[in-house]
Amino acid sequence: MFSRRGFIRIGAASVGTLALRPFGLLPALAQSGPDYRALVCVFLYGGNDSNNTIIPMDSYTAYQSIRGSLGLATSALTPVTSATGAPYGFHTLLTELASMFTAKELAVVANVGSLVAPITQAQYQAAKAPIPLNLFSHADQQQQWATSMAQGNSPTGWGGRLADYVASQNLNSSSFPTFLSMAGNALEGVGVKTQQGAVAPGQSMQLAGFNSSAASQARLSALTNLLTLNSGVSLTQAANSTLSNSIADAKALGQALSQSTPLKTQFPTTTLGAQLQQVAQIIQVQASLGMRRQIFFCSLGSFDTHTGELGTLNTLYPELSQSMSAFYDATVELGVAQNVTAFTESDFNRTFQPTSGDGSDHAWGGHHVVLGGAVQGGRIFGAFPTFELGGPDDTDVRGRWIPTTSIDQYGATLCSWFGVPSAALPMIFPNLPNFSSQNLGFLG
Amino acid sequence: MKQLSGFLVIGIALGLHPGLAQTTTAPVMTDHAAARFLDQAAWGPTPAAIAQLQQMGINNWLTAQFALNTSDLPDQPQIDSTTGKPNRNLTPVQSAFFQNTVAGQDQLRQRVAFALSEIWVVSAVTTKDAYAFPPYWRLFRDNAFGNYRDIMTALTLSPAMGDYLNMANNNKGNATTGTSANENYARELMQLFTIGLTQLNPDGSPTLDSSNNPVPTYSQSVITDTARALTGWTYPTAPGAKARANNPAYYMGQMFAVEAEHDTTAKSIIGGGNIPAGQTAQQDLTSVFDALMKQPTMAPFVSRQLIQHLVTSDPSPAYIKRVSSVFTDNGSGVRGDMKAVITAILTDPEARAADDAGATPNPTFGHMREPVLFLSTILRGLNATLGPANGIYASANELGQDLFYPETVFSYFSPLYSLESGQPAPEFQIYSTQTAADRADAVNTALYGAFDKTTKIDLTPFVQNGSDVSALVDYISYVFDHHSMSSDLQQAAAGAANAATGADAAAKALAQVRAALYVVLTSSEYQIVQ
Repeated sequence: MFSRRGFIRIGAASVGTLALRPFGLLPALAQSGPDYRALVCVFLYGGNDSNNTIIPMDSYTAYQSIRGSLGLATSALTPVTSATGAPYGFHTLLTELASMFTAKELAVVANVGSLVAPITQAQYQAAKAPIPLNLFSHADQQQQWATSMAQGNSPTGWGGRLADYVASQNLNSSSFPTFLSMAGNALEGVGVKTQQGAVAPGQSMQLAGFNSSAASQARLSALTNLLTLNSGVSLTQAANSTLSNSIADAKALGQALSQSTPLKTQFPTTTLGAQLQQVAQIIQVQASLGMRRQIFFCSLGSFDTHTGELGTLNTLYPELSQSMSAFYDATVELGVAQNVTAFTESDFNRTFQPTSGDGSDHAWGGHHVVLGGAVQGGRIFGAFPTFELGGPDDTDVRGRWIPTTSIDQYGATLCSWFGVPSAALPMIFPNLPNFSSQNLGFLG
Repeated sequence: MKQLSGFLVIGIALGLHPGLAQTTTAPVMTDHAAARFLDQAAWGPTPAAIAQLQQMGINNWLTAQFALNTSDLPDQPQIDSTTGKPNRNLTPVQSAFFQNTVAGQDQLRQRVAFALSEIWVVSAVTTKDAYAFPPYWRLFRDNAFGNYRDIMTALTLSPAMGDYLNMANNNKGNATTGTSANENYARELMQLFTIGLTQLNPDGSPTLDSSNNPVPTYSQSVITDTARALTGWTYPTAPGAKARANNPAYYMGQMFAVEAEHDTTAKSIIGGGNIPAGQTAQQDLTSVFDALMKQPTMAPFVSRQLIQHLVTSDPSPAYIKRVSSVFTDNGSGVRGDMKAVITAILTDPEARAADDAGATPNPTFGHMREPVLFLSTILRGLNATLGPANGIYASANELGQDLFYPETVFSYFSPLYSLESGQPAPEFQIYSTQTAADRADAVNTALYGAFDKTTKIDLTPFVQNGSDVSALVDYISYVFDHHSMSSDLQQAAAGAANAATGADAAAKALAQVRAALYVVLTSSEYQIVQ
């Protein structure tokens, strides 16, 4: 679908002499201040089978015997060695991620999932501890990654609450949105005080069809004036708010990007590649935008591999690996590698036991990658489950791993690096106090 | 009806306001009420459709619409003749869809079918063969006014659905190779298509246990067992091919049972029901459907979503309860009668409350036009004609709704999506700062450019009815805004029109029409159907 959209057009054509919401931005060269931080989420929609992302080779025999048709041969794995000397194998089509692991630019966090509080297998099976709402359901588990509220029903996302915190500390000197999605509206970015922005790579946000004539300007004024009036209809007001923000964001981005030079880093021409390229282009002009803290949201879909899984991952993994690698290279090019951390999220991991159609079903705890110059790379954080159906880490008999690290701990580690003091973390992650460790140590 | 449309043509040719041309017959409904209804039950009003509805009244109009089945989507070749590879070009189907929305007579059937397709989702993102989609679409079209169980049966045995959610070739588990039955279809059949995750009261509120927690509709073990009950179905056998236990994908016709791949052990399914060992695949399927149809939760679960698609994002519990009770029993003891349900939704006092122009509007009533509806209503109002190769689908895609390519089984947007305030607003999930601007640009394209070479709009009626700016704005209000445009929007549209210029009188008149239409069609007031 990306091919239907042209090249990135933002900033290519400004709307002329529009008098829109003023931003008070001074022209400035793009440069990174010492106090810039960006978080970049890559959400793998559908539930990535991270059992095949990285494999602890000490458990390879159990892996191979249980995974059956989904098992990767050693020749289909790229061997790496963790900082502790333990052997691991990345899916060989994640070759760039494997290289970054070896170069200590990427870390793995094992068996992360939605939890209200730590839970043992006995507690889970006897329902003697709080169990996340609607486990194994896409919609609910996506929501719980976005909100970090395993109890469900949170109207705000943790990225939105983080943006609220940034606003409360006046860390950004413009009204450009702190949370910016390349993948449409994201629950993760819904805050109480702040509103997210969305940019589609390759689509202009500047309103088309205006010039400087009096007639044209009168028509534009008619449109913008309406946005300031109260219709008394709540849905109309909500739409007004979004279009107002759109016009303001387009103006700010257009101004900032018009002063930027093209990136030298080549991105793959894929959906995720285009999203991460757009993120890098916006990071390039963060100073012009007046931003010291930014949260970006990207996504890649089609991970719901109930059948024909190996072929699907063979398509998705190169896109994931090459796009994230190019993104890291771009942050090096921009001199902000230390200031930018990218990380994955996904609905859930998948059953270790295959389905009858060479796929896997919905499960729970999964493995994630974190990359950037500030990451304690080449290391595995958390613990892999025991590869045994009905074993000590299984919810039942199909290899749905009970997580040993919570989304709250994962997110709180990212937010601590972002500059949120410990005392403020429970505002963003209300369940965090239920866990003994609030920082997993994979950043700085 | 023929007589009436002839009358209207004369009225328009004389440059008369079609609403005024109506004065010889006492209107059953006001312009306002008729236009509102057509935004709920059709792809938006046109002067002719308003006049027709006014003459017929809602009940006769519904009866006539229930009988119409005129719109089809063209079957597509399986193989791309130039490349020799499977044909994955859905654009002729997408184009035909928009031709139907703009010109098809069976407007209500199309609207309901589209709503059902947003519940029973198959996406070309993963089910890629173009020829799969016309037959899939016809299941909604042909069952839209049947029984919900017919829809459940047709979609469950649809090879397109079989491919998308893996009911096709879902073999029984194999202890030797260590596989289990695929849970995908069993899970989504219950979670998304029939009952949802939580037991509901008839008014749509969750049923609570003694500790005030919602009661789940099923457990994981029910999914595992239902998955086993649904094993043993494969794709139809392609003409000339030999039937196999696991046929390759073929999308014409219905899936059929292969008993050798059906798990015949006993199962515990929804509602505490037990399937005895030894049943056939068809018997198990019937047992599962029987059990699902008995779930009281199905009525509010399905009713609420249909209300959201047609009328309002946040129906009151009482509205849901009234429709649910019709879903549960149409008055003749039949559960799931879609004609009765659709009638109940569209004639409900809550849906019709704002028909009285003097009524105080409920500030939370209504819903946002999703992109497909937004584009269709604009095109109808602008008297558009679309060719078979029209590119309206490309605009819908830019606006966040890639027709037949929803990103996931959760469709283009989720029925659970809310505003920050908590107010349900499903369509807002795809209304972002990006797509808000894209909507304005689509209006710009419609009025000042062209969507494509074959899509033509005709602004003549607006020029003819816009002898002065105030008459123009009134006519636009009649066509696009239920003849009840807010005074703020009237002033804004008039201001833009008054500033418009042209080299001569005709050019100026056209410029005024375009300027006023731009302001109205880009306004948030127009994005929301109240």
